[in-house]
Amino acid sequence: MAEKAVLNAEGLTAWLGQVCSRSPVLAPVKRGRASFAFEWIKDPADVRLDYVRTILPPKQAFLPSREPLLSVRRDMRATASVSGDPFVLFGVHPCDLMAINQLDWSMLRRHNIEDPYYLARRKAATIVAVNCFPDKYCFCTSVGSCDTQEGADVFFTPVLSGFMVETLTERGAALLEGAKLREASAEEITAAEAFSRQKRRRTVLRLNAEVAELPGLFEKRYESEVWGSTARRCYSCGTCTNVCPTCFCFDVRELADLSLETATRWRQFDSCQSVDFAIVAGGHNFRGDRPDRVRHRWFRKFVYLNREYGKAFCVGCGRCTQQCTASISLVDVANSIIAEAKERVA
Amino acid sequence: MTTSLVRTFPERGGDRLYAPHPARILRIEKLTDLETLFEVELAGKRELNHQPGQFVQVSVFGYGEAPISVSSSPARRGSFELCVRNMGGLTAALHRFGPGDTIGIRGPFGNGFPMHCMQKMDCLMVAGGIGMAPLRSVIQTILADRDQYGRLIVLYGSRTPGDILFTDEIASWQADSRNEILVTVDREAPGWDGHIGVVTTLFPLVKVNPKAVATALCGPPVMYRFVLAELNAMQVPERQIFLSLERRMKCGMGKCGHCQIDDRCVCTDGPVFTAEEVRSIHESI
Repeated sequence: MAEKAVLNAEGLTAWLGQVCSRSPVLAPVKRGRASFAFEWIKDPADVRLDYVRTILPPKQAFLPSREPLLSVRRDMRATASVSGDPFVLFGVHPCDLMAINQLDWSMLRRHNIEDPYYLARRKAATIVAVNCFPDKYCFCTSVGSCDTQEGADVFFTPVLSGFMVETLTERGAALLEGAKLREASAEEITAAEAFSRQKRRRTVLRLNAEVAELPGLFEKRYESEVWGSTARRCYSCGTCTNVCPTCFCFDVRELADLSLETATRWRQFDSCQSVDFAIVAGGHNFRGDRPDRVRHRWFRKFVYLNREYGKAFCVGCGRCTQQCTASISLVDVANSIIAEAKERVA
Repeated sequence: MTTSLVRTFPERGGDRLYAPHPARILRIEKLTDLETLFEVELAGKRELNHQPGQFVQVSVFGYGEAPISVSSSPARRGSFELCVRNMGGLTAALHRFGPGDTIGIRGPFGNGFPMHCMQKMDCLMVAGGIGMAPLRSVIQTILADRDQYGRLIVLYGSRTPGDILFTDEIASWQADSRNEILVTVDREAPGWDGHIGVVTTLFPLVKVNPKAVATALCGPPVMYRFVLAELNAMQVPERQIFLSLERRMKCGMGKCGHCQIDDRCVCTDGPVFTAEEVRSIHESI
């Protein structure tokens, strides 16, 4: 059982100051009028835990949008730049935490192959998660991510006077050394327990089917007209995959240095929505048509990886819908498919 | 999966996972206007230890990597062969290379053709264009252990006579009366007195016992659709038909997402699948 205590608002700022002096901290800060972003913290007072979602997910801490894999010499001797300096990832919401668990599977366990770059950063991270209330784009209750604690070292639940703090790992306990924790009152314990119920009540957006049913329902509507009508609105811009906390596809490119003696091999995010994603050497494109690419995204989230991993590869964070340049709603499209599939069964 | 061989994937993790192994080009042989055969030796006398149908990631300095299937039999020790079509970019750069030049190799990757499923069976190989490159590895494996296999039937379709790969070697296969090797080109051409028509037009020329035949296919997606229809009409069970799928693999290890089809990765679950599997996989061919 995790130890529970309370850290009040002043105590939090003081403790964050100590944490920042010990190691780099990646935490949400206010970016624009109503937007937030994970940034490396210079002043602990900048950290904001009252955010709903950040523009980009915290996966950048483990899987940067662009990173060097190798320095390759002309004689093909290659040096791998694998490194992971200890850092604290602070203020992660349960949905993004679940996404990190899914990335752990895809990058470290899938096909029994361990990606060394991801592993180094993942091992170097201490994660503090914080529970949250939803807005109109959130649907974590539909994909099982609203109560995720797995993967966190410390878990915060907002209570009136500050945060109920649960220490989940030894690494978390070490991080909390020096924090002015006090025993929780009976009211605070009750409030923390009520938090999850309130969160569920306030989450109005939902998928109209259970995660386990989705592969079967989607398969029935593989040829649905919904993919075509969605594709007519889609620009294939790739914003949805860029902001997705579970998308992990990448491209590998090599750039020679000016000396032409060494080259750097990079990997960078790639998007299955780009027209050339599935093209092969002979020019055949397995998803050259936009409806096929649109369908691929929904199938990958709710069918393919769901079947392989046992959970949807969507954590209900709402980023792709909020930031879609064509205002396409992931949930609306999914629910149209679900409705069509159920209608045909009935 | 029943079709999978024991994978010989060299690494499971570690800092060298994405690092190529230096290799030297020993010999090149220009096969056609577009295709060249490269004989390659890994540095440090390392053996590739591949299976027929597996592929490697070939590194060319300044260009990065491209997935290329191994074209020689594992029975050959000390070196292996890659048949590469000049498609621009990395493959064009590779075509400027010669003996003594250095490239990088990662792999082998993928499952390869299940040779154990072909033993004691009649072996029907259907190749389209550069699909002959990986199938040559299978054919050489059969020929190296000839008594373990039944009849060897090769149906090979090329666009023009000038596009036919391994012409001398094919002639040596044809010289053995135990093998039935049929080659066709798509259209009439000067100097060509052989068969004319797409590869499926060779099917009526061979008689096979559908129960006793194992089939390996390699070619473009359009060929698969027509050949599978033909094999279906011949009542060859789908589990005895093995196809190699082409995708644009960037990592070879099921991480980059490029070769994901349905819930499989072509690089780790394939590239060889049975016709039964292919039927149930969306967008496979």
